[in-house]
Amino acid sequence: MLNYLVRRLLIAFVTLLLVTFVIFGLVRNMPGTPLTTDPAMMDPSKQISPEDLRRLEKLYGLDKPWYESYFIWIGNLARFDLGRSIAQNNRPVIGLIGERVGATLTLSATSLVLTYLLSIPLGLWTTVHSGSVRERTLSTVLYMLYSLPSFVAALFLQILLAVKLGWLPLLGMVSDDYASLSGLGKAWDIFCHALMPVACFTYGSLAYYTRFIHSNMQEVIRQDYIRTARAKGVPPRRVIAHHAFRNALIPLVTLIGLTLPALLSGAVILERIFTWPGMGSLFFESISQRDYPVIMGLTLVFSILTLLGQLLADLLYAVVDPRVSYS
Amino acid sequence: MTSCCWRLMFVSIVLAFLSGCSSSVDEEQVDFMLGDMLEPFSPHSLDELDAKTTWIDQPVVDTLDRLRSYQVDQGPMPVSVTEALTIKNDSPENNTKIIGALGRVAPSDGQGVNYDDAVVVHTAGDLKSSNPIMASSVTDFEVGDLISPGLFTFDWEMQPLANAEMVVSWRTSDDRMVDKVVLRNDWTWSDGTPVTAQDVEFSFKVIMSSQVKPPAVRQGTDKIRWVKAYDDRTVVFFHKQALATNVWNVNYPIIPKHIYQETIDRDPSMTRSDEHSRLEDDPITSGPYVLAKRVRNQEIVLRRREGYYMHKGNQVRSKPFFSTVRYKIIPDTNTALLSLKAGETDVQILTAEQWQSQTEGDDFYERNTKITGLEWTSFHFCWNLKTPFFSDIRVRRAMSHVFDYDEMLNKIFYGLYTQGRGTFHPTSWMYPKEAPPAYRQDLDRAETLLEEAGWVDHDGDGLLDKEIDGRSVPFRFTVLTNNTPNGVKVCTLLKECLDKIGIECMVKPTEFTVLTQNMRDHKFQAAMGGWGTGTDPSTSLNIWGTDEGRNYGHYSNPRVDELFEAGVIEFDPSRRAEIYAAIHKILWEDQPYTWLFYRNSFYGFNKRLRGYKFSPRGPFTYGPGFRSLWTPAAQP
Repeated sequence: MLNYLVRRLLIAFVTLLLVTFVIFGLVRNMPGTPLTTDPAMMDPSKQISPEDLRRLEKLYGLDKPWYESYFIWIGNLARFDLGRSIAQNNRPVIGLIGERVGATLTLSATSLVLTYLLSIPLGLWTTVHSGSVRERTLSTVLYMLYSLPSFVAALFLQILLAVKLGWLPLLGMVSDDYASLSGLGKAWDIFCHALMPVACFTYGSLAYYTRFIHSNMQEVIRQDYIRTARAKGVPPRRVIAHHAFRNALIPLVTLIGLTLPALLSGAVILERIFTWPGMGSLFFESISQRDYPVIMGLTLVFSILTLLGQLLADLLYAVVDPRVSYS
Repeated sequence: MTSCCWRLMFVSIVLAFLSGCSSSVDEEQVDFMLGDMLEPFSPHSLDELDAKTTWIDQPVVDTLDRLRSYQVDQGPMPVSVTEALTIKNDSPENNTKIIGALGRVAPSDGQGVNYDDAVVVHTAGDLKSSNPIMASSVTDFEVGDLISPGLFTFDWEMQPLANAEMVVSWRTSDDRMVDKVVLRNDWTWSDGTPVTAQDVEFSFKVIMSSQVKPPAVRQGTDKIRWVKAYDDRTVVFFHKQALATNVWNVNYPIIPKHIYQETIDRDPSMTRSDEHSRLEDDPITSGPYVLAKRVRNQEIVLRRREGYYMHKGNQVRSKPFFSTVRYKIIPDTNTALLSLKAGETDVQILTAEQWQSQTEGDDFYERNTKITGLEWTSFHFCWNLKTPFFSDIRVRRAMSHVFDYDEMLNKIFYGLYTQGRGTFHPTSWMYPKEAPPAYRQDLDRAETLLEEAGWVDHDGDGLLDKEIDGRSVPFRFTVLTNNTPNGVKVCTLLKECLDKIGIECMVKPTEFTVLTQNMRDHKFQAAMGGWGTGTDPSTSLNIWGTDEGRNYGHYSNPRVDELFEAGVIEFDPSRRAEIYAAIHKILWEDQPYTWLFYRNSFYGFNKRLRGYKFSPRGPFTYGPGFRSLWTPAAQP
């Protein structure tokens, strides 16, 4: 097991180097630099002098070929230095990411937990009641939800719940008077702000996961061992939960592994609509501004999470599937 | 190649780890030298200077007063405030009525002003820096206008002036080489220290230090030879050359010497050290408002500063109209509009689509009204003159004859924009008195011009072609545009128009950064772009001068270059106007661009707000700009 783990971690390390190398090369070779759309460069009254442009290029290391810059970046990384943002006034990348992690996790972790808490019972319920009118209705509703783009739903929810009814705050993560609220008040404030984004963040994956569990279960309950279990008089509930669901878990575990990076990657469009200060909008902005250090910092975080997610999924296989062994 | 990269990568990674890693890319080990980019200069003593100089008085203006008397001269309000609040802005007449009534500035004695009100302004992007020297974004300049105003500003007609809230007198030598400014003695920093001429001199030297990397403000400031503080209140600007733009060049931001002289040599970047990070969040500023709080990517809160308008127990300036100015950062324009409708924000820029189709109902007018103003922002097709197609003036004129302006103005822009008439706006002082007529779609004329230029369908394939260097070249080109719905629509309209006369045009929408970089590198055949206006027409040299940085289409006309040179050293307003009008006419003749349309300003304002006036760059960031906004204590 330990042997396997060490081997996997080594492969992960090499993969990480490869991924960052390739992304660094791609990002640096996209047309445009952090200075292309710097607002200061766009001011019609002023034109940056070639000398100042060179000074800025030197300051940000843009005068070096990209692979040289990559090695400098890797070198700094080895000292746990992710560098400083170019577009955001030299602020440390680690700080920029740090201040967004909380907001993103509030949204994504809540949404993920909700998705699993709801989709597993729903998936099992639809399996048991497969073919009934109730199941068909629910499945149709879930299909419709799955096809409804979340940005449309977000806009409708905003118009209805925030503008027309005034029940929920329209945007942001906290109210203007957040600092003066009590501990409980603060929690309630965030809860109210998070309701709409979490709902929009969740319903799509909820529909998907429910259908996913349903279809896997459909496959499993047609297996011989299920028939055997039923034949020997195991109660239906136990057949579904113990015999069938345990086997349907295997593909689900793969999905869990793959959702780990999504925990931090945020959601660009929803974050913009709800003005939620998360990682998605940071990533989006950093790409359009060609803010190389921030792009690379985020790429690194996402890559590490992806690799960890895969490792976790592989390890969980061994837990849910006794046939799998890494020793 | 791949294996080489691989090997290179691994070797270098190992090397990087072994060597303890190279230092970060931007560390400089040189000691900080204040003003090291300046040439040595020893100015005369003040007495000598006064003795040998003939001074000309320059305008020192209270911009709020100037706007007030301008409005009095305009005559009575076209309609009452109550009526203006009920009408919908669906015609130019109603726009005039609304702005005529609601745009009125508060009375000079402050009677009837609700000084306790807080205004919430929408902004799409966060404050990048609260240090005015490091400012670069729109939000930086808007906030900077309120917390760190400079000695100079300009009014809604872009006339430069010294701000009477800071300056007692401003004089220029008759040879235009020296400006002498006397500061008021009742102007203080937010920590109570007086703002002095030393701060003005120090700020200049900071901007002109090579280790300081100001993103925007060095350009122009570097045209000043020297700045000398003779005492706490008298500061003199020595210029390198007598330029009409010197009045703009002296308008650079001012930072407190007593704070930064202690910190700058330890961190010339002004952004990295802990003490500079603290100053970034809690800056010492000199304006009517102070930065009270900022939550990154969410809001910027400014509070009225008593020390600005009160000095030693006396009111010395007009009291700023709001207790709090809160900038709400909302990147999504739809969400921003919803928040305006919900009354959570009070001021917002609207898009043309929002103006036309999302703000005409009662849900908008319940709390808000809207105003449009002329803006000197123009859009165009830029033709690359180094391509075989557009090097010929006849082809460029043909292009301008092919395009269907009416379709664009009426269908794509709902009749909200006016047609482009050249590089300067028809309402500007630079615009020629006898302006050439606007282009109209005339396909016959276009075909004749193309035929004269040799573009004929010789091979009968439906596409115009021409023999160039012994090779038949079909008229087929790509037009780049920013990937926005309107950009794509306008370019597609061009494509459809060109189809009719046998020219194939491919529309290529790209991300804005890619578009900008390609244009800057001249890697395009044609592109759709736009320009806002500089404060002075001489700044458009960077667009039209031979080999200038923003001359993306390689336009070159020695006469235009000469005229720009003449314009910047001409001080007589009418002669200057003639020079720029001449440039305008030559550019119109040469058609290096096909000028498409002028984009106007569209703003939504909460109905309780008053006192807005639009400049060619929108309602803010001029004098008085935001400072004229107020709310009455009694709402009708």
